[in-house]
Amino acid sequence: MKKILNDPTDYVDEMLAGLVAAHPGHYRLHGDTGRVVARATPGAAGKVGIVTGGGSGHLPVFTGYVGTGLLDACAIGDVFASPSAEQMADAIRAADQGAGVLRLYGNYGGDVMNFDMAGDLVEFDDIACTTVVLADDVASAPPTEREKRRGVAGMVYAFKIAGAAAEAGQDLAAVTRVAQKAADACRSVGAALSSCTVPQAGKPTFHIAEDEMEMGMGIHGEPGVWRDKLRPADAIAAEMMDRLLADMPLAPGDRVSVLVNSLGATPHEELYILFRSVKARLEAAGATIVMPLVGRYATSMEMAGVSFTLLKLDDELEGFLTAPCDCAFWSVA
Amino acid sequence: MSIDITAMRAAITRLAAAMERDFEALNAADGALGDGDLGVTMTRGMRLVAEGAPDLPEDLGQALLRCAQAFTRSSGSSYGTLLATGLMAMAKAVKGRTGIEAAEVSDLVALARDAMIARGKAETGGKTVLDSLDAVARATEGLTEPAEVAGAAVAACRAALDAFRDRSATVGRARIFAEKSRGMDDPGMLAMAAIVVALAG
Repeated sequence: MKKILNDPTDYVDEMLAGLVAAHPGHYRLHGDTGRVVARATPGAAGKVGIVTGGGSGHLPVFTGYVGTGLLDACAIGDVFASPSAEQMADAIRAADQGAGVLRLYGNYGGDVMNFDMAGDLVEFDDIACTTVVLADDVASAPPTEREKRRGVAGMVYAFKIAGAAAEAGQDLAAVTRVAQKAADACRSVGAALSSCTVPQAGKPTFHIAEDEMEMGMGIHGEPGVWRDKLRPADAIAAEMMDRLLADMPLAPGDRVSVLVNSLGATPHEELYILFRSVKARLEAAGATIVMPLVGRYATSMEMAGVSFTLLKLDDELEGFLTAPCDCAFWSVA
Repeated sequence: MSIDITAMRAAITRLAAAMERDFEALNAADGALGDGDLGVTMTRGMRLVAEGAPDLPEDLGQALLRCAQAFTRSSGSSYGTLLATGLMAMAKAVKGRTGIEAAEVSDLVALARDAMIARGKAETGGKTVLDSLDAVARATEGLTEPAEVAGAAVAACRAALDAFRDRSATVGRARIFAEKSRGMDDPGMLAMAAIVVALAG
């Protein structure tokens, strides 16, 4: 393992200490578990709270998206591990402004179980909770078993849209409905070129040869759909777009946003090479691209690779997507 | 003779010692199919339970609730959360009482099993801890003597391990390695067998 760290067991706590020290205007640690980050300036009284949670190792997901027009609080686990139910309950309490809390997170067994348990724990505080789970990774299960799919970069769009709806003063039922609509309207697929190493494990999660790539890999190194020789950028983009459009066909006149995302080590240069292909393909389908995103939005430690997320828009989703938001990693003016 | 807080504290001491002993074995069993931290989950959780044991109230419902919270506080792992879920279901059922009869064990284990089925969104038959609990609930049904109940529970856990060893896992992370899981004990079932042996004394 070759990483810039002190002790692997301190990796997450030292990362969080640095995060809040670097961005005191955006983030603060909440409660006594040391693993809950909340907005430095809480949302308005009576605003619906939005909370997320999951393992570390994905920055800016999850913690980074705590901010104005985005999330109110986040519970953070060890690298690629679920936070505890207790930490999630603390995050729900931090997010509550008296109008209830939406739990918005990715579809992973441990996170689902713990967020359900956290709901039981905050029942005593009389906080009304709803849930929307992201399951946007088309490579992880067939369309007939959509509910089993993993949640990946589509979370970024859901955070943005639900956050804007809450900021606009919508009630819990309305914010939950729009978050679910965003979750249903996005599809993602990833491809990886290299593995990554969990600090406490000390060795790579999996092995992949120097000249190979894996299509459909998840953001923790979960197995994909095929592994083969590395292909040219345009061929990779073509297959990834094929997979997305097969799952969510587009008609001429459709408006979409697209996120071309680095899984960690892949540089912006390569993302822009891919974006050419993505744009051409969407225009060929007669679709209009709204507010495209290119960069590091949802990562998997130092994995080299990329994911594409398509979000099909209607007027309501587009309005919330383009509304202002601000966190340390991303802002929309 | 009923189970009271004194008996519960003694059981906690036995169980904490068993989990220190099985730390490496459970990590190794879990590492074959999962992320290899089941020993960590159980040892961390039981250390916290044991630390709080002297201060547990006589109300067994409250006492079980505190044990559940030790697991929700010490770990985010699915197994820890499932155990906490089962303990909370039992806690609700015996709230306000200072003694439980051996004859009630079967129903309490069934309550824990059902709460864990709901939380884990899984069924019995998938080669998980649910199958161990199901076996214990059935084997202890209708028994009234403490020694009988303890013996039947231990035998049921071992029989469940034998019955599922050569089947493939259909739920949880092990399902990804369904074929590989044939011939291997499920780590969650192994842990539950160790737990029941320790509780039975």
